[in-house]
Amino acid sequence: MYSKKVFEHFRNPHNFGSMDNPTVVGQVGNLACGDVMKLYLKIAKNKQGQDFIKDIKFETLGCAAAIATSSVVTDLTKGKTLTEALKITNKDVVKALDDLPTIKIHCSLLAIDALTEAIYSFYKKTNQPISADFEQKHNRIINCQTRLKH
Amino acid sequence: MNLSTKSRYGLMALANLLNQDCCCSVKKISEAEHISSDYLEKIFSKLKKAGILKVERGACGGYSINGDPKKITLSKVVNALEKAEFTCPDFCTCQSKSVWQKIQSGFGYVLSSITLDQLSNFKNKSIYLDYAASTPVDSEVLATMLPYFSQNYSGNTMSLHKYGNSASQIVESCRQTFADILKVKSSEIIFTSSATESNNTVLKGVAFANKSKGKHIIISSIEHDCVLNSAKWLETQGFEISQISVDKFGLLNLDELKKTIRPDTILVSIIHGNNEIGTIQDLASIGQICHDRGVYFHTDASQSFTKTPINLSKLNIDLLTASSHKIYGPKGSALLYIKTGTKITPLLHGGGHEFGFRSSTVNLPAIVGFTKAAEIAIKNFDQEKEKLTKIRDYLINNILKTIPDSHLNGHPTKRLFNNINISFDRVEGESLLLELDFFGIAASTGSACSSMSLEPSHVLLATGLKSEQAHGSLRFSLGRFSTKAEADYLLEVLPQVINKFRALSPFKG
Repeated sequence: MYSKKVFEHFRNPHNFGSMDNPTVVGQVGNLACGDVMKLYLKIAKNKQGQDFIKDIKFETLGCAAAIATSSVVTDLTKGKTLTEALKITNKDVVKALDDLPTIKIHCSLLAIDALTEAIYSFYKKTNQPISADFEQKHNRIINCQTRLKH
Repeated sequence: MNLSTKSRYGLMALANLLNQDCCCSVKKISEAEHISSDYLEKIFSKLKKAGILKVERGACGGYSINGDPKKITLSKVVNALEKAEFTCPDFCTCQSKSVWQKIQSGFGYVLSSITLDQLSNFKNKSIYLDYAASTPVDSEVLATMLPYFSQNYSGNTMSLHKYGNSASQIVESCRQTFADILKVKSSEIIFTSSATESNNTVLKGVAFANKSKGKHIIISSIEHDCVLNSAKWLETQGFEISQISVDKFGLLNLDELKKTIRPDTILVSIIHGNNEIGTIQDLASIGQICHDRGVYFHTDASQSFTKTPINLSKLNIDLLTASSHKIYGPKGSALLYIKTGTKITPLLHGGGHEFGFRSSTVNLPAIVGFTKAAEIAIKNFDQEKEKLTKIRDYLINNILKTIPDSHLNGHPTKRLFNNINISFDRVEGESLLLELDFFGIAASTGSACSSMSLEPSHVLLATGLKSEQAHGSLRFSLGRFSTKAEADYLLEVLPQVINKFRALSPFKG
């Protein structure tokens, strides 16, 4: 049911484990649903003075798809500027894994949500302006989380 | 003739190398495969000369495959290692020469048709621990079935000619066998195509035949989906369903059952040996409660039939389901016991087979196979119970002892002798299942992520488990061909697998 790519990331995930002194952390998911994703980001300035993801690591409790999507998101975002990273969608994640079973698509969304949350808290932390669009995205994720907890 | 251990060791070592994540030293492979490292070094240097292996330098030094394993055939490997010749010399004109030539070409054909990539995918270990899902057909059962596909038995049991007669006689003798095993009349046994069909027949058949008496049906909170979903469907048809709770071991709350039965209750359906957690219910007490109140009692004995004695002459049971493919019989065969006088409407209407309870031309070979499987299981009962109980308890004790934060689900003693169900904190079942599969171990999980529903097992939740514990559960079910060596292999692999995913988890113990 899973593609070869999913199995590769599942068996030998990239960039996993915790990180000492991360700049920000994004955690989404819910124990009751069986999937929890935690992304650790180290953010620095590049030569052009833009914020970029210098290092990224993940810890995930979940199924093979959850682990593979976490792994692939770290690959897709490592070295990217935050603006670039925010443009990555769950479709990109699914594509990078050579597709996911329909019932597992929500796992790819979870990985993107964790990334969005991490970057959101970085913007907050550094008092950077947050677009209405981004704020809306953040609220959707938070609402989803609270709904799941009840 | 000339074919030595060089080829065998060479292929073993290459398969091992292909299963490594990067290149590998001779020492590591020689230890893993128990081959002397000097001997292996010689083999590898020949393979290197033939261009099959290359040397890698650096931190992860050692040998690696030179080229695409999908394109390297075993004949290339064997030819590099030795002169594998079966033919007589060219000048020989002996009578047997053509024999050796044929062997030589067959030998070459086999070796050149298998690639290194295929070789590495031949799992050296294959351990089936999912007998509760389905069992392989016993070879004796298969041999017994085969003649019944032939023309002599090709008739419809309803036909009056000799073909119909002979088929009919066989079915009746099978029916008698089951009647003897369950201690009932043979006219009370009907053959169906599956336990799902038997259970559907009971739920829907009793509901529709007795709706003038009432529309209330009782089931437990740990039924198999085929009972649960039949009950849910009946709710859409105006019937009322009550679910009786179970305790943390999965035992039915008998007081609640007594209180829930009403004058309009028409059926109580309780699973005997649970398919997920293995808990065995007290049929005598439940039967007595139902009998005292004049309510039909059905039990789904798909998992427990032949694994625990069931004497229907001593139990107040009106309907019972048993299945063939859980006891080394063919799929597509099951039975339903219907006590004489029980009001039940058939699910399938037609030519009136099976005393009118189940129209359909009977599946003779499958029924013969099911019967043989039951006979073998009954004959081996004591021996199998002793052997599997030992392995079951050995596995449960050692898993709980060696893996921290693991918990047994189900009852410690009132459980099917082949069932093990354990929850592991901070891991998720589907990933465990897939990783175990890489080690050749087949198991099952109550995690939602492996199902189509995204809901964790209702059975585990009913015993009071939190969702996350249900997500982290694994079921290992033993069977006739399980061995202590297989149990030891599982005990070797399982802690590594659990550790791998606990290391990945954001939650630490």
